[in-house]
Amino acid sequence: MSTDAPPTDATKLFHPHFAGHDQISARTLGFWLYMLSDALIFTALFAAYAVLNNPMSAAGGPIAPQVVNPVEGLWQTYAVLGSVATYSLGTVALKSGNKAGVMLGIILSIVLALVFLGFETHDLLGLLAKGDGPARSGYLSAFFILIATHGLHMVFGIIWMLVMLVQIPTMGFTANVVARLINLRMFWQFQATIWVLVYIYVYMIGAY
Amino acid sequence: MQVAIQGPWSPLFGRLTLASIPYHTPILIATFAGVAVIGLVIVGAVLYYNKLGYLWREWITTVDHKKIGVMYIILGLVMLVRGFADGLMIRTQQAMAIGPNSPGILGAQHGFLPPFHFDQIYSAHGTVMILFAATPILTGLTNVIVPLQIGARDMAFPYMNALSLWLTTAGAILVMLSLFVGDFSAAGWVGLIPLTELPYSPGVGVDYWMWAIQISSIGTTLNAINMIVTIIKMRAPGMSWFRLPVFTWTTLSTNIIGLTAFPVLGVALGLLGADRYLGAHFYTAGLGGNLMLYTNLFWIWGHPEVYFLVLPAFGIFSEIIPTFSEKPLFGYTTMVAATFAIAGISWAVWLHHFFTMAAGPDVNGFFSIATMLVGIPTGVKVFNWMFTLYRGRLTFATPMLWSLAGLFLLLAGGITGMMLAIPAINYSVHDSVFVIAHFHCMVLLIGAAMFAAVSYWFPKVFGIQLDERNGLMFFWTFIAATGIVFIAMFALGFEGETRRLAYIYDPAWRPMLWTEEAGMMLYIVSIGYFARMLYVSLRDRIPVPADPWGTSRTLEFLTHSPVPFYNFAVTPQVNARDELAWRRDHGLEKTQPDAFEVIHMPCNSAIPFIIGMLAMAFGFGLIWRIWWMFGAALLGIVIAVIIRSFDKNLGYEIQPEEVAAMERNLATAGIIAEQPARKPLTEAEAH
Amino acid sequence: MRLKPILANPLLAVPALLALSGCNTGDYRLFHPLSQVAQVQWWATLFELGIMSLIIVPVTVLIAVFIWRYRKSANAKYDPSWSHSLGLEILVWAVPLVIVTICGIVSIRTTHAVDPYAPGVLAKAEAAQPPLDIDVITTDWQWLFIYPDQHVAAVDELVVPAGRVVHMRLTSSSVTNDFFIPGVAPMIDVMPGMRTEDTFDAPTPLSDTGFSADFSGAGFSWMQFELHIVPQGDFDTWVAKAAASPRQLTYTAFTQFAQPTVNEHATISYFANPTPQLFETVVGAAQAGVVYPVPDALTTSVASLEGGPVSAAATK
Repeated sequence: MSTDAPPTDATKLFHPHFAGHDQISARTLGFWLYMLSDALIFTALFAAYAVLNNPMSAAGGPIAPQVVNPVEGLWQTYAVLGSVATYSLGTVALKSGNKAGVMLGIILSIVLALVFLGFETHDLLGLLAKGDGPARSGYLSAFFILIATHGLHMVFGIIWMLVMLVQIPTMGFTANVVARLINLRMFWQFQATIWVLVYIYVYMIGAY
Repeated sequence: MQVAIQGPWSPLFGRLTLASIPYHTPILIATFAGVAVIGLVIVGAVLYYNKLGYLWREWITTVDHKKIGVMYIILGLVMLVRGFADGLMIRTQQAMAIGPNSPGILGAQHGFLPPFHFDQIYSAHGTVMILFAATPILTGLTNVIVPLQIGARDMAFPYMNALSLWLTTAGAILVMLSLFVGDFSAAGWVGLIPLTELPYSPGVGVDYWMWAIQISSIGTTLNAINMIVTIIKMRAPGMSWFRLPVFTWTTLSTNIIGLTAFPVLGVALGLLGADRYLGAHFYTAGLGGNLMLYTNLFWIWGHPEVYFLVLPAFGIFSEIIPTFSEKPLFGYTTMVAATFAIAGISWAVWLHHFFTMAAGPDVNGFFSIATMLVGIPTGVKVFNWMFTLYRGRLTFATPMLWSLAGLFLLLAGGITGMMLAIPAINYSVHDSVFVIAHFHCMVLLIGAAMFAAVSYWFPKVFGIQLDERNGLMFFWTFIAATGIVFIAMFALGFEGETRRLAYIYDPAWRPMLWTEEAGMMLYIVSIGYFARMLYVSLRDRIPVPADPWGTSRTLEFLTHSPVPFYNFAVTPQVNARDELAWRRDHGLEKTQPDAFEVIHMPCNSAIPFIIGMLAMAFGFGLIWRIWWMFGAALLGIVIAVIIRSFDKNLGYEIQPEEVAAMERNLATAGIIAEQPARKPLTEAEAH
Repeated sequence: MRLKPILANPLLAVPALLALSGCNTGDYRLFHPLSQVAQVQWWATLFELGIMSLIIVPVTVLIAVFIWRYRKSANAKYDPSWSHSLGLEILVWAVPLVIVTICGIVSIRTTHAVDPYAPGVLAKAEAAQPPLDIDVITTDWQWLFIYPDQHVAAVDELVVPAGRVVHMRLTSSSVTNDFFIPGVAPMIDVMPGMRTEDTFDAPTPLSDTGFSADFSGAGFSWMQFELHIVPQGDFDTWVAKAAASPRQLTYTAFTQFAQPTVNEHATISYFANPTPQLFETVVGAAQAGVVYPVPDALTTSVASLEGGPVSAAATK
C-alpha cells in the first residue's frame, strides 16, 4: 500500500534556502530530555531509599524520625522555593532586556540557595559527628546519598548562575545567553521539584 | 573519610605501586609488546607521512557526524578484536583445563590461566563486547546514517556529539589500561553482588570496571538526547513521521530506551561506588544493605540495554531486505508498531534475569508472561521480513546474506528465549551455558546486523567498493564458526555445564568443549578474511556511484558517494516514504538542484577531546584513589565547559561557487579529504 | 506418587529414542530427569520446544523457500507493489498471541508445580511423610550440609535416603551462590544474610555431583559436592559414621571453617553435634556485618591452589 502520489509539475525535489531549524527550540527539547534522564536518576535513588527505609536496614542505628527535622526542613523548603521565585522574577526582567534586573534576581537566588545548603551541610555534619554517617547503616547510606545528590545539583546550579552573572554584562542577551537563562530556569525549577518530593517523602512522611 | 583498603596507599600515587604493573605475567607482557609495537607503527606512520596535523584538524577535533560515527565504529571494531581475544582465551582455557590430571602451564595448575586471571578475562569479555564493541558500533552507524536518512546537515548538537564519542573512548581506554596497570574486575560483566564489595574484591579491578562503564555511559546518554532531538527537529521538509525510514524509527525507539535506562545503570554503579569508597551499606549483606537492590537496578538497565542493541539491528534488516528484494518493506506500519511495542515491553521484563532468586511463583509467573509478550512483536517482525521476500527479485550481495543469516539466528535465539522465559525450565538452565548460547545467538544477530550495515553503507560513506570476494569468505567462515561453537554450547547446557568455570571437573564435557575450540579457530580465519577485505578495498579503491547497489530506497543514497561533508548541497524535498525508490520509479533520481546556495557549518573544536581525556584522568584518579588527580580532573572538566560557554564562534559559511566546485570534484568534499582553513563568521556577518 | 503419568511418561521416552537412534545421551543430564520436580521441568522443556516448533519450523521453511523461489535468476513472479495485506497483518499478530497465551498458561502452572518453596508436584508426598530437613550453608568455597534432626553435618557431601522429600534452607556466609543438581534439584540462589528454600524428591538410589551455578570468586570452579541417594539403612549407617566425627560444629568451629578455602578435590569431612540454631546464627551474623574477607593475596594466588585456610579472622 503506497500512498505516495506520482510527481506532478508542482512537485519539488529540492528545497532551496530551507530555513533550517529553530536552534533554541532544539536546545530546549534537548534540555527537557536531559531532565528526563536526571529525573530517572532520582527515581532510582528514591526507589533505593524506599527499599532501605525500614527498621531492618537501620541496623540498630537511627531511622527517619530520629534523623530528619520537618520544621527545619520547612525553612529549607521556603529557601528553595524563594530561590526559584527570585530567579523567575529575574527572568521577567529579561523580557524588557533589563540586565540589572536579571542579575539581581540571580544574586538573590544564589543567596537563598546558599542558605539552603548551609542548613543541609549543618545537618549532615551533625549526623557525621554523632557517628551516624553513610557507613553506619543501609538506611543512612540511602539518606545521605539522596540528600547529597540533590545538594550537588544545587551546587552545579550555583556555578551555572555565577557564569551567567559574568556572561550577561560581557556578552549581553545573545541567543546563546538567553537560551542558557531559559534552560537554567527549567533546571532550577526541576531541582526545586525534586526537593519538594524529598521533603514530602523523607521529611514529612518519614517523621511521623 | 577513606575506607580501609588492603595494601599500601600514598597521597601522590594512591594505591599505585610498581607491583601494580603485571610484569610477572607472561601473557600480559606479550600482549603489551604487541600493543606497543602496533601503537609505535601507527604513531610512526602518522609522523612519517606528516599526518598528525591532518588527524588533529580533520578527525580528533571534528564535529562532523559522519567522521564521529566512523570513529565510533573504528573504536568498536578495535574493542571487538579485544573481546574476541578474551573469548578465545576463555574457550582455550576450558578446552585445556579438563579433569584433575590436566596439565598446567604459565603458573596455572590447570590450563594456562590461573583462576583470578581467567575470571578477569570472562568479565572483560562481556563488558567489552556489550558496552565497548556493540554499543559504539551501533551508535556509530546511527550517527553516520540517521542524519543522512532524514536529510539533515548534521546532528542537532554537533559539539555534544563529539563529546559523547570522547567519553566513550575514555571508558574504552580505561578498560584497555587495566590490562597493563593493575587488574580488571573478576566479578562478571554484570558485577555479581556482593562479590564486587570491598571484602571480596579488594583490588582495583571492580573500580576499573565501574568507572569505565560509568564514564562511557554518560557519553551514551548524551548521544541518546542528541539522536532524539535530531530525529524530532531536523527532518527535511516533506519527511512526515510516516515517511521516516524504519532504521530511523528504530534509532528513535532505541535512544528513548537508552535515555531512560542508562541513568538507572549510573545509579546502580554509583551506589556500588558509595559502598566501595565511602563504606556505605547499599548492597552489603550486613548492616542494613540489600544486595537484591543492586540486582534489580542493574537489570532494570540491563534488559532494556538488550533491546537498545537489538532494535537498530532490526532496523538494519528492515533497510537491507527491501533493497535486495527490490520491493518495499511489507507492513511498514505494523513494523513501526512492533518496534515500539518491543521498546515498551522491554521495561517490564527485567526480573527474568534472576528467576532463581526466590521471588515466588506469582512474581516469577508475571515476569514470565511479560517476557513472552516480547515474542509477539518480534514474531511480527520476522513475518514481515518473510513477506518482504515474497514475490521479490532477490539478489545476494553480502549485506543481504548477513541479514538473512541474522533472521535464522533470531529464530534460534527466539525459540531458546521462549524456553528460558518459563521459570520451570529456567530453574534448570539459568546460569548454565545454555543461557550463554541463547544470548550469543542474540548478540551475534546484532553482530550480523552490524556487518550487514558496514558492508551496506561503507561504499556510500567512503565512495569505494568493499571487496565482495573476501567479504563472502568472511561471511561463510563466520557463520560456520557460529554454528559450530554455539550448537556445541547448547548441547553443553543440556549436559549441565554452568557458566564461568576456570576448571572443568567433568571430563564428559570434553568432546563438546573441543568442538567449540575448533569453531574458535574458524573465527580466527574469518577475522583474517575481514582484514583482507578491508586491505583489498583500500588498495583497489574502486569508485561507486551515489547508489552503489542500484536498488536502494532511502534518502542517504540520493547524495553523492563519498558523502560530502555538508551532506546535501541543497536540502532535498521529500515526496515519498521510500524517496529514492520513488524518484527512480519516475526517472528523477539523477535530477540535481538548479543552483547552489550558501552553506553554514559549525567549526571544529578541541574541547570535546580535552574533556574526554580529563574524564579518563578523573576515572584513573578514582580507580587508584589518587585524590589530587581526581580533583584536578573534575575541576578541569568544569573549567573546560565554562570556557566553551564563552566561545563566540558562530561557524563558517561556504559560498555557492565553492559548493559548485566541490560538487564537480567530489573527492575534495569526501570524508578523507582535507578541508582548507575557513574563516569563522563574525557576529556582524551572522545577521 | 507420579504426576501427570500420561503426559510425563511418553515424553520421557524421547531420550530413549535419541539413544536408540545412535546418540549417546548419557552425558545429557537434563535429558534424564530423575526427581519428579526435574521431570516436570523436562516435560515443560519438551512442550515448549514442541509448541514453538509449530511456528518456528514453518517460518524457517518458508523463508528458505522464498529465498530459493524468488532469487532474481529464477524469474519468478515479481510484484513490487505488494507491501500490505490487512488479513495477513492481523494473522501475524494473532498467531504469536495464541502461542504466547498457551505458553503463558503452561508457564504459570509449571512454575507452581516446581516452586522451590512448596512444589505442587510434591504436595501429596509431603503430606504422606514429613520431608527431611537439611540446612545448607555455603562459604568461600565449600558446602556445609547440616542435618538438624540427625545432629550431624557434612562438608561437600549430601546424603539423603531414597524415597524421601528433601526440604532445604539455604544461606551463605560470604557471597551469593546457586545450588544446583542437574536432573534432581532445581537451581536456587544462596545469599548471605538471607534464607532461601529448595524442595525436591530423592527418587531411587544414585550418586551424582552437585555444584554452585553462580560465580562466587576464585575458588568457584572447585566448588562441587557429592550427592548420594541411598536406601534408608545405608543412610542410618552414614549418619552414625558422621556422628562419630571427633569435630564438634560449634559456632567458633564454623567461623574457622568459613575462612576462604579452596577445597580442591572436594574432600569430604564430617562434623558431629552442630550447635542448635547454627543456621539462624549464621544468617544473623551476616546481617550484623560479619564478613570473611578474601585477602588480596589469595584472590591473586588461588592460581597455585596452595592456599588452604587463610589466617584472616572474621571481622566486623
